[in-house]
Amino acid sequence: MALADFFISLLTFVTIYSLFGLGLNVKFGFTGLIDFGHVAYFMIGAYVTVFVAMPAGLSETYEGLTGLGLATAFAGVPGGDLLGWLVALVVGMAAAALVSLLVGIPTIRLREDYLAITALGIATILNAVFHNERWLFNGAFGIREVHEPLSGVFPIGTGSFQLNLLLFGLPSVAILGYAAYRTAKVVRPLGVRPALLGTGATLALAGSVVFVITTMTGLVVDLGVLALNVDNTIAFVLLVGSVVAGRAALTETDHIGALLALASALLFTLWYLGQPLVALVADGETADLLLNLFWLYDATAGSAGGLDYDRFFFLFTLAFLVGAYLWVERTVNSPYGRVLRAVREDESVPEALGKPTFRYKIQSLMFGSALAGAAGGLWAANIGFIDPTQFASTVTFFAYTAVIIGGTANNRGVVLGTAVFWVINSGTRFLDDFFPSEYAQQLAALRLILIGALLIVILYYRPEGMLGEQDYDINLGRGGASDD
Amino acid sequence: MASAGLLDALLQGLITGMIIAAGALGLSLIYSIAEVPNFAHGDMITIGAYLALALNKPGAIPFVPEFGGLPLIAAGVLGVAVAGSTGAIYEVAIFRRFRSKGADLITMVIVSLGLALVLRNVVLFLVGSGNINYDTERVTNTNVELYLTGNGLSVQTVQRQAGDLVTLGEWGYGWLSLLAIVVVAAAVGVGVYRWRSDDASFETVHLVSPRVFGVASGIVALAALATVLQGAPHTIDAAVWSTSVGVSIKYGVIIGLTLVTMLAMNLLLKGTKTGRAMRATADNMALAEIRGVNINRVQLVVWVLAALLTALAGVLTGWFASNLNPNMGFSLLLPIFAAVIMGGITSPYGAVLASLIIGVSMDVGVFLLPAEFATYRTAIAFVILIGVLLVKPEGLWGDV
Amino acid sequence: MTEIHNPILDVQGLEKHFGGITAIGGLDMRVGEGITGLIGPNGAGKTTFFNCVTGALTPDAGRVEFADGDITGKRPSAVAQEGLVRTFQIPRELPEMTVRENLQLAPRGQSGERLTQAWLRGDEFATDEVRVREKATEMAEFLEIDHVLDAKAGTLSGGQRKLLELARVLLTEPDMILLDEPLAGVNPTLEQKILDRIHDLESQGYSFLFIEHDIDVIMETCERVVVMHQGQVLTSGEPADVKSDDRVIEAYLGEEV
Ligand SMILES: Nc1ncnc2c1ncn2[C@@H]1O[C@H](COP(=O)(O)OP(=O)(O)OP(=O)(O)O)[C@@H](O)[C@H]1O
Ligand SMILES: [Mg+2]
Repeated sequence: MALADFFISLLTFVTIYSLFGLGLNVKFGFTGLIDFGHVAYFMIGAYVTVFVAMPAGLSETYEGLTGLGLATAFAGVPGGDLLGWLVALVVGMAAAALVSLLVGIPTIRLREDYLAITALGIATILNAVFHNERWLFNGAFGIREVHEPLSGVFPIGTGSFQLNLLLFGLPSVAILGYAAYRTAKVVRPLGVRPALLGTGATLALAGSVVFVITTMTGLVVDLGVLALNVDNTIAFVLLVGSVVAGRAALTETDHIGALLALASALLFTLWYLGQPLVALVADGETADLLLNLFWLYDATAGSAGGLDYDRFFFLFTLAFLVGAYLWVERTVNSPYGRVLRAVREDESVPEALGKPTFRYKIQSLMFGSALAGAAGGLWAANIGFIDPTQFASTVTFFAYTAVIIGGTANNRGVVLGTAVFWVINSGTRFLDDFFPSEYAQQLAALRLILIGALLIVILYYRPEGMLGEQDYDINLGRGGASDD
Repeated sequence: MASAGLLDALLQGLITGMIIAAGALGLSLIYSIAEVPNFAHGDMITIGAYLALALNKPGAIPFVPEFGGLPLIAAGVLGVAVAGSTGAIYEVAIFRRFRSKGADLITMVIVSLGLALVLRNVVLFLVGSGNINYDTERVTNTNVELYLTGNGLSVQTVQRQAGDLVTLGEWGYGWLSLLAIVVVAAAVGVGVYRWRSDDASFETVHLVSPRVFGVASGIVALAALATVLQGAPHTIDAAVWSTSVGVSIKYGVIIGLTLVTMLAMNLLLKGTKTGRAMRATADNMALAEIRGVNINRVQLVVWVLAALLTALAGVLTGWFASNLNPNMGFSLLLPIFAAVIMGGITSPYGAVLASLIIGVSMDVGVFLLPAEFATYRTAIAFVILIGVLLVKPEGLWGDV
Repeated sequence: MTEIHNPILDVQGLEKHFGGITAIGGLDMRVGEGITGLIGPNGAGKTTFFNCVTGALTPDAGRVEFADGDITGKRPSAVAQEGLVRTFQIPRELPEMTVRENLQLAPRGQSGERLTQAWLRGDEFATDEVRVREKATEMAEFLEIDHVLDAKAGTLSGGQRKLLELARVLLTEPDMILLDEPLAGVNPTLEQKILDRIHDLESQGYSFLFIEHDIDVIMETCERVVVMHQGQVLTSGEPADVKSDDRVIEAYLGEEV
């Protein structure tokens, strides 16, 4: 698997979980509601979207409620299955919001800790219901008949190899170039010498870590094999590292951050392009280089190459994330958002000033749950199979961790935190290669131990997270002066 | 052959309640004194259970040197003791720091969540996710079968030995002796209650409340009379009503141990200086500090006690169910929280009482509901909690 | 006792108990237009009275009428929307929000506070927000906290918090304001300014019920005074009469006044 493919799938995960985290941020970050049952709305969104889109009688092993078949209902129109799926997604979001309304009415008045435990309990019970009641959505057996919108259309291309390369390759390279430009902008004020020094130091550090691990375990001798197994994940770690450090450099103008940014960007480039170059020189193998450079373009898709479904789906989820981000931003950057934050700080104040806080809290809960529902619908389409074990309470806790790492009440922080979280959780999978496979479970546990510890450490040393609370500005549009 | 009925479910529920109570007692201390809604409580239970496992069955844990293993009693005692010191670690390494920063309730909730994640995965890391059990003697259940006949109550104790049902004992009570037993036991109970509350002026602090004393003496009297007044069995063919109650030595041990623990806790809270300091801290931490209470010491005691109690609950659960798994504590977390909130957070005694109510409702509920609802045992605890929160958010008993 | 004939706030038989403590025991009070002072020793139940009237606490018994409508047991937000707003004795600033945001939160009936408006942003949205911003700035200037407008409210000094509390309530532009010791800890020049402003607002038709321990301020400011003692109204009337009332002297003012 080329690095680019690994990237696409990991980024799709990060995107979906960021959307989930945005929903949590609405509730927890901006309104101060500790909803430990957030995953329930993710689950409901996933199931309801699948259920509404799913045609009847697709499978003999499915014994749940008959699907509504919306995906095929619009078969006549071009792109009709997408339309049907979108409607299904909206229904899924609405269902999530509605259930949260029903949960919220009795519980939202409770003290924050009581709310947390009741929400956790309700989510646990709902999960048990989905698990045990086969008549509902096939119980523990899950649903395999998940509609993947537009999957029939892909790969798409023009039929001409060169034209495809131009069409999809050009934006790919342009985006990479833009990323490089942004990195350079971060680093430029530094001058060359410290930059080189920093890069050298980082390289040495990374090298020695790899060395120590290999010699210590004595399990991997063949460095070539090592490179192949390790590159994907290390590269991703580096990329995110550079983004993180770059952010830090931008916000705090600290030179170490900028140095780190440059170093990891360089390392990333080396890995991302160097390793396929080596393959090219050694074996005349071009496929990986092509894939990594023109990452949106899959030369092996179809007869003349083109945009494959995985890549499309990543862009698709990204569009949803951007949309949700803007939507949440618009919500919190308004007098409405001001009331939400007032509720978070001290509910009695907005209440005494005449704001019906109960209504605000319920609305916030429903909005956040609807976003979780949308994430659920996308999750199902991405995985292609859902069952209740995918929606355990740990998913909620992971989202809390991600939000807190990135910065509570900061929408960019949610995305950043989610990326960091999944780098630790998935990106460090490469370490598994150093150990016998029977230790896979141990390593998974170890990662979660790290994450739990990280959560506590961050709460202690930097409770505002990496980015801290965001700034607010109510944009009045036409001539309205902004908040001076 | 009588079949299991409501009485059996009640007894089961009582045992469940006792185990929940051990956890709930610790949580209510942490909740009211350390002011941490401790979401790691369930996983502390798991840790306790596995600490005992490490001593009892060292071979089961890859990183522990094989040394043959201790009998469960010794392993349990030692495991609980070691667990106590983990409580000290949580307090000193984590919660004390957050307290000194003045962390709010939300932060404490999330911190405890992080701790929960760490603890659960430490178990997964060291032992893995499989089911496992203690290395100890199998305990055979005895069924006590009760038959109500025209002549009175007849009792048979039956045990399954090597596949066959063996009747161990058989005796009966006439109507008159039954009546006598009940009346005398009730009289003893009421009498003791009167006697204990007699000398009570408003300020008297009872180490054991008269009500508890009364109920306990009633039960003792009932048991004593039932033993003394055993008569010849009646013919049970014409039984009007019959039921079977499964009992085993485990039941006695669990009830006994939890009761002793509660008594000890009670003594500690009411009879010692530390206990008074703890109660003062629960009332108002800032005020207690001004009055010279060493808050850090109190909190340390609280966490150690809570860890001891959770470990006890863990060992008992693992032994009772003959099964340990990394999720065992988390599945107890909801009922424990339910009990503590229902009991009114600041009241350990309320928590114990609520635990019993919740335990009994869970098992009796499962018995009364159709079979397909058996998987929703925890849900029952939860429905009760939500009901209580909606009607009386301050808990059923408030402060005691 | 002087009779109020057309009271704005009419409280009858109010009771509030905390466990064994009776904070308010069968209290009747009628408050008319203008500025009314509310005095009484510490623990007399003044703050509890405010809490019960504005719905922050649910009274155990009794009836509260405001502007001829029954507001007993209504939620605080509903009471505030009827035009009855209170300050907190211990200021409750929103610490993580700026002073500006604390102030902008206050005005009632902002269209942007509705979710649909926050999303769709019709015409009213901008005009309302501009109005809110101007008012907030103007109020901050008046109370001399304009130089800290962009600071987090959590960083304010004790006196500034008092002012912020007062500013927020004034910004809601209600019919009647319940002030719980608004001047405690405020410097003398500003104190006079605030009192002037209260008089100003009174002439514009606002009414005040005003808890204050400084009897001289009460004498100067109020047309009428109510004295509370142990959860009940001890007496009420013209400030001068009340000041010379034996029971008041015994319960509250002491001999030397
Ligand atoms: N939430 C509460 N719980 C228990 N008791 C309370 C509560 N609030 C007030 N009290 C009691 O009610 C009585 C009246 O208190 P309140 O705050 O109304 O007095 P006050 O007249 O405002 O006094 P001050 O002039 O000191 O502000 C006091 O004895 C107080 O202890
Ligand atoms: Mg007061």
